[in-house]
Amino acid sequence: MSATTVSPGELRAARLRLRLRNSASFGRRLLSRPEGLLGIIILAFFSVLAAVPELLVGALETATTASGSRLQPPSAAHPFGTDRLGRDMLNLTVHATRISMVIGLLATAITVFLGALIGIVAGFLGGLVDTILMRITDFFLVLPTFVLALILAPILLDIIGANAQLFGMRVTLVVIVVVIGVTSWASTARIIRSQALSLRERTFVARARVIGSGSGQIMRRHILPNVVGLVVANAVLVFAGAILTETTLSFIGLGDPFQPSWGQILYAANAAGALPIGAWWFMAWPAASIILVVLAFTLLGSALDDLLNPRLRARR
Amino acid sequence: MAGGYIGRKLLQAMATILAIVILNFVLFRAMPGSPERVLLRNPNISAAAKAEIRAQWGLDEPLPVQLVSYLGATAQGDLGYSFKYRGQPVLDVLGSRFWPTVILFGLGQLIAVVVGIALGAYSGWKRGGVADYVGNGISLIFYSAPYFIIGMVLLVVFASMLGWFPTAGMSSLGVRHATLADELIDFGRHLFLPLTAVAIGLIGQYSILMRASIVETLGDDYVTTARAKGLRDGYVLRAHALPNAILPTASLVAINIGYVVAGAITVEVVFNWPGLGTLTVEALSARDFPVLQGIFLLLSVAVVLANLVADLIYGVLDPRVRA
Repeated sequence: MSATTVSPGELRAARLRLRLRNSASFGRRLLSRPEGLLGIIILAFFSVLAAVPELLVGALETATTASGSRLQPPSAAHPFGTDRLGRDMLNLTVHATRISMVIGLLATAITVFLGALIGIVAGFLGGLVDTILMRITDFFLVLPTFVLALILAPILLDIIGANAQLFGMRVTLVVIVVVIGVTSWASTARIIRSQALSLRERTFVARARVIGSGSGQIMRRHILPNVVGLVVANAVLVFAGAILTETTLSFIGLGDPFQPSWGQILYAANAAGALPIGAWWFMAWPAASIILVVLAFTLLGSALDDLLNPRLRARR
Repeated sequence: MAGGYIGRKLLQAMATILAIVILNFVLFRAMPGSPERVLLRNPNISAAAKAEIRAQWGLDEPLPVQLVSYLGATAQGDLGYSFKYRGQPVLDVLGSRFWPTVILFGLGQLIAVVVGIALGAYSGWKRGGVADYVGNGISLIFYSAPYFIIGMVLLVVFASMLGWFPTAGMSSLGVRHATLADELIDFGRHLFLPLTAVAIGLIGQYSILMRASIVETLGDDYVTTARAKGLRDGYVLRAHALPNAILPTASLVAINIGYVVAGAITVEVVFNWPGLGTLTVEALSARDFPVLQGIFLLLSVAVVLANLVADLIYGVLDPRVRA
């Protein structure tokens, strides 16, 4: 034997180094695009707010611990003004950041998981499984899923009971997460399926089959790693959609007043009739936050799209 | 157009509508307000009375039989009775709120399509220029804002601060207008802000897509040819680039209808516009499930039909898809 043997440990280390170097260069290219950089800066800012709201503005103010009087415009004591219960708007908005971002993150995780699972299985197995799964997917694509979410949420809530808690979250919020997840996976499934469809025909898949790998193992070890990039790029857009859906569901009254998200604050502002009397500060901060975060994800998504899609690179 | 293409699309649309109705049936079985659950929660009802009511509502039949009678009733427009608006059939409740929504979104779509396509085409054609950057930036911000936030901003600025427009409703309450023209002016003043919110919310989407597809065509051979022939710039855009680039936007308009109506529901809430959106919120807070399901069915069928129309129009505009 003349060839030097490489131990599995060394092989793994080398693979890891290569992957790190690739992702570092990918990160640099992403940051070198103005829209990618802007998106990341905005998201970093809101991530910090979501991570440590207590450190920045103290505990979430409630009706009993409100620090100001009702509906005060911005002042030195309350730079963002106060809401109808006298709570500081800065305090509320920063705390709502955590709620909105966590709901968005969890809903995105469910959406992307379902979409990737259905897309990979349908694309790889093909045949009848593919036909059935894609019919269901197309059905969900046509359906006004937002309206479905809107009906599902109260049904689930009444079944579980609105005052329960799951994993430290109010059940209202868990229901919103689940409902967004199960109604918005369809476009992800479509995108992943088309990629799985082409991967299935590659030589390395045939090779894996020849050495006796089962379908499940091929999907896990060979198809999945090759769609991860696509999944991440898609997740960025799904996240923006999840934030928008959460905001809208909360705005029409499906949110939770005890764990307010941005949409929930807007609901409160509208319900309190704050707008016709000109209390703009009641809506301005959460509204600006929503727009900024969605904008950041959209910018990041388009930067990722440019990087991952070489056809577009030359055009711009 | 080939008959097979139309037939296939019609069949698909019908199958989708059937699936939606069945989904609606399943939801109805799972929901907490169904008669059975309400009865089971009341401990004082005797077993005989329970059985009688079950028989009266047809709940003792096997599920497939119930499904068939549900399909029959739905086909005849019987959507059940509202919990909240007592005694009123769901269809009547929906009917009374239908037209305000159609006016708001029909007009909003129309304005957004025209302005969005023009804006997107122009900024794509002049890409890299100042107009492109400004137009694209504004489009992105509008695209990122939920409709109701746009509505809230308009309401605060133009209704409560400047006082140019009324803050809520479809007409001034308690005012008797002398002439039809006065009435229309009053209606228009109430319509203006919600309509603007819907249109602005949509323009972003259409112009972003339109810009992208115009940029795609810029490198195509036939555009280069048209330019090489010495045609004027505006003419190349209008006569050569636009007709091809408009296809994706045309289909987006149809695909979008579900999302548009859903998102725009919230605009109605902001302005208290008496359409399906405010009805949805009222039904939601009263847990009026028959009405919610009626809204779901109505919107779903509307979306399926819009997609069907889009497919057929697409078939006329682009013969390749007919194959």
